[in-house]
Amino acid sequence: MKFFSLVGVELNKIRRSKILLILFAPVILMWIPCVINAGMNFDLREIPITPQNNFFIQGFMGMVWFMIPASLIICTVLLTQTERSNKGILKMLSLPVDTTKLCLAKFTVLILLSLIQMAMTVGTYYISAAIASQLQDYNFILEPLYVCRNVLGIYAGAIPMAAVFWMISILIHTPIFSVGIGLASIVPSVFMINTKIWFVYPMSYPFYLLMVEYGKAAEGVYETQVAWLPWLPVAVGITVIALMVSCIRFGAAERR
Amino acid sequence: MSLSLEMRKLKRTGYFFAFLAGGLLASAFPLVNMLVRPENFVSLPGDPFTILVDANWQMMAMLNILISICGACMMYHTEYADNGMQKMEVLPVRPSSLFWGKFAIGSLVLAVMILMETSVLSGCAVHWFPAYQFDFLQVAKSAGFQWMVTLPTVMLMLVLSSACRNMWVSLGIGVILVFTLSILPQDNLILSFFPFSSPYQTFSTAVEKGRQFLLLGVCAVETIGLGLVALLYQRVRRWYQ
Amino acid sequence: MNIIETQNLTKSYGDFTAVSHLNLHIRKGSVYGFLGPNGAGKSTTMKMFLGLTHPTEGTFSIDGKTYPSDRMDILKEVGSFIEAPAFYGNLTGEENLDIIRKILGLPKSSVKDALELVGLTQFRKRLAKKYSLGMKQRLGLAGALIARPPILILDEPTNGLDPVGIHEIRTLIKSLPRQFDCTVLVSSHLLSEVELMADDIGILNHGRLLFEGTMEDLKSNACAAGFPTDNLEDTFLAMIDEDNRKGGGTKCP
Repeated sequence: MKFFSLVGVELNKIRRSKILLILFAPVILMWIPCVINAGMNFDLREIPITPQNNFFIQGFMGMVWFMIPASLIICTVLLTQTERSNKGILKMLSLPVDTTKLCLAKFTVLILLSLIQMAMTVGTYYISAAIASQLQDYNFILEPLYVCRNVLGIYAGAIPMAAVFWMISILIHTPIFSVGIGLASIVPSVFMINTKIWFVYPMSYPFYLLMVEYGKAAEGVYETQVAWLPWLPVAVGITVIALMVSCIRFGAAERR
Repeated sequence: MSLSLEMRKLKRTGYFFAFLAGGLLASAFPLVNMLVRPENFVSLPGDPFTILVDANWQMMAMLNILISICGACMMYHTEYADNGMQKMEVLPVRPSSLFWGKFAIGSLVLAVMILMETSVLSGCAVHWFPAYQFDFLQVAKSAGFQWMVTLPTVMLMLVLSSACRNMWVSLGIGVILVFTLSILPQDNLILSFFPFSSPYQTFSTAVEKGRQFLLLGVCAVETIGLGLVALLYQRVRRWYQ
Repeated sequence: MNIIETQNLTKSYGDFTAVSHLNLHIRKGSVYGFLGPNGAGKSTTMKMFLGLTHPTEGTFSIDGKTYPSDRMDILKEVGSFIEAPAFYGNLTGEENLDIIRKILGLPKSSVKDALELVGLTQFRKRLAKKYSLGMKQRLGLAGALIARPPILILDEPTNGLDPVGIHEIRTLIKSLPRQFDCTVLVSSHLLSEVELMADDIGILNHGRLLFEGTMEDLKSNACAAGFPTDNLEDTFLAMIDEDNRKGGGTKCP
């Protein structure tokens, strides 16, 4: 069976799960305070940044450090629970499907959901920037190319983290534990980002990318260049290892 | 009686293990922080214990909150998952004793966690700050304060998870609340009274601003008030079932 | 010719032996009734056939293919109904079947046919989690039958059905070999039920095979062993009871 039709099947399985609503709620919650406090973007406290850039970066800050990881965790649990709650996984395993393909198809759905959330974020950003511009009589809207490039970068940076969360949700069967470990792993990313070994901690990648962008927009706040080495090989390595472990262990508990 | 019963229900759910692991992880923050970059802290002026609390408590409090969320969800998940709750409702037990039993466990394990964390903090102060004189009263006061201001959060999470039969709903609401209140400004007095926000208040800052008793009072009222709301809701729900 | 054969098939979990040195012979085109009390090892055996659990010892072959090297090929030929209910609760009955259809690469019409076959057509738009136990059971059967496979493995398919439903499903199973030219392995804990469906039967207790053969063989065997034969249910109970008293092969209280 073709991989893409399997992805279609997996998308079918999460119908009526209201996941898009769950993904949309934090996006809205995040931008409302930004619009209300838009005036604070003029009080820059000596940081050399334009108010419109500040609006963009402060708005995305909460997203990269907490909401992207938290949404990913919720999605992984949703994906594994749809299989486990009514033993759908048993039916799948007794059909002639390759478990590796099945596992990768599910991962594809996971990062697709994340992509949808990113698109929602960009859309909401433009709406809130437009409202803030009206309220403050100042143009907060940044050009789409800049915004999309950054958001896509952050999205790509979140993929290794998604792979790790996916692995955790497969290895740990008690859902509350996989959620707990995932959520607990988000907290130290603020700390990790300021150490020299931030690149071994996938949960901090999106945060790092945004901080570099902050550094570019406001001199002296953070680094201005992405340190590709040794980050890129490490990130690819972590992703590959996490996905390999997931594929090997996928459905293993049901096939004891 | 209900306390030991509730304890037994949590057997093999990994509940106590989760709190222990959470406590250890939270305690690791100050340790790692001091091991990796002691130079950032030892030169700071002021009381060493306060310096360490200021540097680490935000993250430690967040972990405490997250673990409390998971714990509350887990407690009610064991009730609802295989209809254990239904059985409880047809037995001659008061639903209120069930709820308070759960709250007692939740607050006890939280106390253990916070004790663990504050001892590590004071241990770090003793080890890295030669001038530091260990002050038991200060550490005990601080631990007690942090425990009290976290209780409304524990209670609110229990209320939410007792109200939602589906664990994912309560978990999702909890996570969104953590997120929303953690990005709001922390220095606003009114906001600092909210559950999910009050645990970030540190004892030293509260004393400095002279609002420690106000905070403790508000948190106590919130905790009891939320508990009563939960009981009222349970009673109302039974009418409509 | 035997389409399914096992050689000393064994499965143990720690010091508990669920299935012990099983040698089954299932003829092509027959309905094979797999009989035994709850916990005798019927489901475990069937799960091993589907690769849902690995044998501790011994081998089996299905249509000349062996596990684990030909797992995929075996699954392509087998329709199964194991440990119901296994489905996706957030999807309707029709959508559940559609997922199986897509994976097996069947034409669109097969979903409609399968629903028709088990009598679920009027409930096809209802969410599977809102199904009654009997409807879930029928949905599981539809999922097994949808591809018209040459081999069907059904684990207690009449569990939870009402008398009318039991009769319907029994009649359906009985007609399958003729209708679709397939072999059926069906388990049950009721001899009276197996008697009405099966050509051959195998009786399992505590993981060991007590008897294998046709219904006539069973009757003559039981007669020779001094078990009551006027009521088959009594024959079965007496056999199990006798075996339990002997120690049942495994550690027994």
